[in-house]
Amino acid sequence: MTALAPLQAESPRGNNSTRPSGTPTADSRPVRRSKVKRGLEPWLYLAPAFIVLIALLGYPIFQLINVSLYDYRQAQVSGKAPLRFTGLENYQKLFADPQFWTVLGNTVMFAAACVVLTLLVGSTLAVLATRLRPWVRSTLFIVSLGAWATPAVTGSAVWLFLFDPTLGLVNKTLVSIGLTQFAGHSWTYDKWSGFGLVASEVVWCSFPFVLVTVYAGIQAISTEVIEAARIDGATMPRIARSIMLPMLRPIVIVVTIQSIIWNFKIFSQIYIMTNGGGIAGQNLVLNVYGYQQAFAASLYGLGSALGVIMTALLMAITLVYLRILKRTGEAL
Amino acid sequence: MSAINVSPRTNAPSAADAPQKFRRNGRRRFGADAAALAIAVVVAFPLFWMVLSALKPKTALDAGDAAPFTLEPSLESFGRVLAVNNFGQYFLNSVIVALAVVVISTILAFLAAVALTRYNFKMRTKLLIIILVSQMVPVEALTIPLFFLLRNAGEAIPLVGLNQLGSLVLVHVGFSIPFAIWMLRGFVAAVPVEIEEAARLDGASSFRFVRSILFPLVAPGVVACSVFSFISTWNDFLFAKTFIISAQENQTLPMALLTFFKPDQNDWGAIMAGSVIMTIPVLIFFIAVQRKLVSGLAGAVKG
Amino acid sequence: MKIARTAAAVALAALALTSCAPPTSDNAVSSSDEQTGTVRVWLFSEVNQDPKSAVVKEAVAEFEAAHSGAKIDVQYIPVDSRAERFKAAFNDPSSAPDVAEFGNTDLASYVASGGLANVTEDIKAWDEARDLDSKILATTEIDGKNYGVPWFVGVRALYYRTDLLQQLGLEVPKTLADVETVARAVRTANPGMLGISVGGAAQFSAMPYLWANGGSIATREGDTFVSGLDSTESREGVAAYTRLLKDDICPAQTCAEFGGNASVQQFIAGKSAMTIGGDFNYKAVAASAVKDKFAVVAVPGKTAGSVAPAFAGGNNLGVFNSSTHRTLAADFVKLLASKKYQQKMFDSMGNLPTFSDVQKDVAASNAQVAPFIQTLGAGTNFVPVTESWSTIDAQGVFTGMYQKIVTGKADVNTATSEAADAMNKAFGAK
Repeated sequence: MTALAPLQAESPRGNNSTRPSGTPTADSRPVRRSKVKRGLEPWLYLAPAFIVLIALLGYPIFQLINVSLYDYRQAQVSGKAPLRFTGLENYQKLFADPQFWTVLGNTVMFAAACVVLTLLVGSTLAVLATRLRPWVRSTLFIVSLGAWATPAVTGSAVWLFLFDPTLGLVNKTLVSIGLTQFAGHSWTYDKWSGFGLVASEVVWCSFPFVLVTVYAGIQAISTEVIEAARIDGATMPRIARSIMLPMLRPIVIVVTIQSIIWNFKIFSQIYIMTNGGGIAGQNLVLNVYGYQQAFAASLYGLGSALGVIMTALLMAITLVYLRILKRTGEAL
Repeated sequence: MSAINVSPRTNAPSAADAPQKFRRNGRRRFGADAAALAIAVVVAFPLFWMVLSALKPKTALDAGDAAPFTLEPSLESFGRVLAVNNFGQYFLNSVIVALAVVVISTILAFLAAVALTRYNFKMRTKLLIIILVSQMVPVEALTIPLFFLLRNAGEAIPLVGLNQLGSLVLVHVGFSIPFAIWMLRGFVAAVPVEIEEAARLDGASSFRFVRSILFPLVAPGVVACSVFSFISTWNDFLFAKTFIISAQENQTLPMALLTFFKPDQNDWGAIMAGSVIMTIPVLIFFIAVQRKLVSGLAGAVKG
Repeated sequence: MKIARTAAAVALAALALTSCAPPTSDNAVSSSDEQTGTVRVWLFSEVNQDPKSAVVKEAVAEFEAAHSGAKIDVQYIPVDSRAERFKAAFNDPSSAPDVAEFGNTDLASYVASGGLANVTEDIKAWDEARDLDSKILATTEIDGKNYGVPWFVGVRALYYRTDLLQQLGLEVPKTLADVETVARAVRTANPGMLGISVGGAAQFSAMPYLWANGGSIATREGDTFVSGLDSTESREGVAAYTRLLKDDICPAQTCAEFGGNASVQQFIAGKSAMTIGGDFNYKAVAASAVKDKFAVVAVPGKTAGSVAPAFAGGNNLGVFNSSTHRTLAADFVKLLASKKYQQKMFDSMGNLPTFSDVQKDVAASNAQVAPFIQTLGAGTNFVPVTESWSTIDAQGVFTGMYQKIVTGKADVNTATSEAADAMNKAFGAK
């Protein structure tokens, strides 16, 4: 990220250090910074949201951790068998299970691919969008919003239909251009082709968020800055790298974090498109695996342990990401 | 980005009136336009196929008709969807739940965003991190604790118990708030402090300022951002499947759609028709708030 | 600040007090027995839904006419996600339905969850029950108590295309080995055709192979079970079944993902020469394009003339423990499971009745049920009667085993050992 260091000389207003650590500037921004403390007031505004959050997220998370420490199956839930505190046994069981490690590996790889592709496609299109005729841009935006608006269930259904072994358009097209080996070809038979199919759908419905956000960010960059740089003889790639990228960093951070969070938690697409985890569970990701252990196999304790592991993993990834950012001078 | 004046309300550009920053590379524009159109076609294709398949007659679909057009568009697939018992009821339920979630979560998130942007207090950064972290918990994993929570809540307040629409509203409000707070910070922060001071000098209380001045000022952006809560609620089938146990009259739209996923013989026409019906309200919402959304997203990440 | 902090502390303390242990539910028998109101009923949705809905509608109309003030609300739920649905219902008794159809393999785990009502007395007091096939009734029994009324029997037999076999001069298979040879011969002659459509996820179609080779799923040892999948005989059976999912019969590419219904669907679509299908599939096949070109025989065993032991599947109707309409619910079960409606279900769906006399009647007047009755008569097997079976089933132990073998991810020995381990783990988790 060091390559993104801003060219101060060329962008007099391009100071990208923002928020807490940033020096207050002449603009309207310092608002809250200069606020006097008014004791209880902020807490009154926070209270309703936080009461809801504590009840509907805090408490369930606490229970999730709690349940993960028990031998908690259907018989225990129904009160037909004694509840037994087992400490970390559920975790030990998981760590000793080779399937868990496979699923973990799948999850990380699948999510990483989705994050990278989503960011790549979204930001490339955002940059592209700045150079388009208005009507072309509007077209691009409207179809993107369409993909974004498509519910996960229906998006998965359409993609599945397009790639259906016998009735799908993709196979029919491939066969009609002479690739007869695709007659009846199942795209979910092979593990990676299955993941690829799901990832395509995920990228399709999640890149618009990146596109719209990054585009908005580019638009917010003052035209004068770029003009000034241009007059100073900076080339386009240099402007992009040295001015636009640093200024876009806060946006890139947010879309990256959101993409990580969303893509690691993919559930519906895998559940629907691979029919609950694919052949012999080859397309399972942690989230689906945990859900199946908990709800289908009624190993609630084990399923909860998986949920805890997943949250911890996401937090770890995000923390590492934030740490890297902090080192390069960015803060939350 | 504090150096740049980007108040979403005043001069944030939107998709339609973006300045042409790269106009000088005019010759390259044709190539860019062509590429963008090609991409638009690819992106739109699944949507096009969805609408097309919904309009094709069932016989054509079963025969694996792959033509990119249909000469005899038919509404029979829509007919089959609408013929599902209580389809109207399901649709209404989905609308009720989504709207309730949007209203409640937006108000709560707005108030929280006020606290987190217009006040300076010790825990501020910590709370922001808590909000971020709370988005990381896989909601699917919380189904079990939430199930019991709502079961017990239902004993006290039947309206939010299992089998009730209230249970869906409650969980989705919980899940929508963190991201909504995150989004709304930008809008709230963008209102100049001078306005607040002026209001205070006029003797307005803090709450009065928030209610009568701040909220109307940021309302358009707030509405735009509520599209996120709307989508996640509208699309949910996991909670609908788990919490609405036996009360068919309280099922939501995605569940109606799932009835067409038959073991081994999907009724693609009906699935596609149902998908169209499900997608349209979200798309309308999106297009309606599009401009505000773009500026909102730009503002949000600067908060 | 102070107040907020205190409030937070109080809230946390309250949380800690109320939640030392994870929540549990109480599945006590409901004390109320209302005579009016809505009786909620769960039935499984079918590939071919309409005939089932029609019969059920008729029963509902008859019931509502006879019980004024009572309303029956029937909901069709997918078989695939039944585990989640039933569990949710057991965990929140107040939202549970009153009556449900369920597979007999799930009975043990539902009873262990305390979700099903003991209906022994209702059966005793019911005239028609005397004619219930005692062997079938026994599948609803745990520790001498009945937890359901058998609604239909599900046994599988071999469906084959008469025209294709005739064309190629092939004889109807008389042994399991013949099935393989015939299947291969058909596909060699018609490369576009599956020799026999079987599936990696069709565990019940595979069971005759296991049992005919002398293998077993599990054997009871004391109060627990031990998996028999890794025995030599079982492995032979698994190997024989998975040999069918090869490119020269039913390519894994296509068939690995098939469940029982999908396999039959291929046969209905005219894309396969044979399949292992249930009595409950008969009507759908007989109504399809291949209706004049197929016949059914019992799945043959290892030697000519023998019948492979089939899995004695079937569904029951039961009453939920938590039902607040206990009497109405039991009455509706008795009506829907009555001779009259079992006969109707047979006529419209082909489901084999559970009453000995009705079975005889339908066999006498419908030649097609003979192979199924013959299979029943030759002796059937069942899955281990334990709550652990539901876990094994939900974890896809069998499905995973077959799929790993046919996709080449593991050989028969490894896959069966893994599956046996997984099963023993589930049995031992008690």
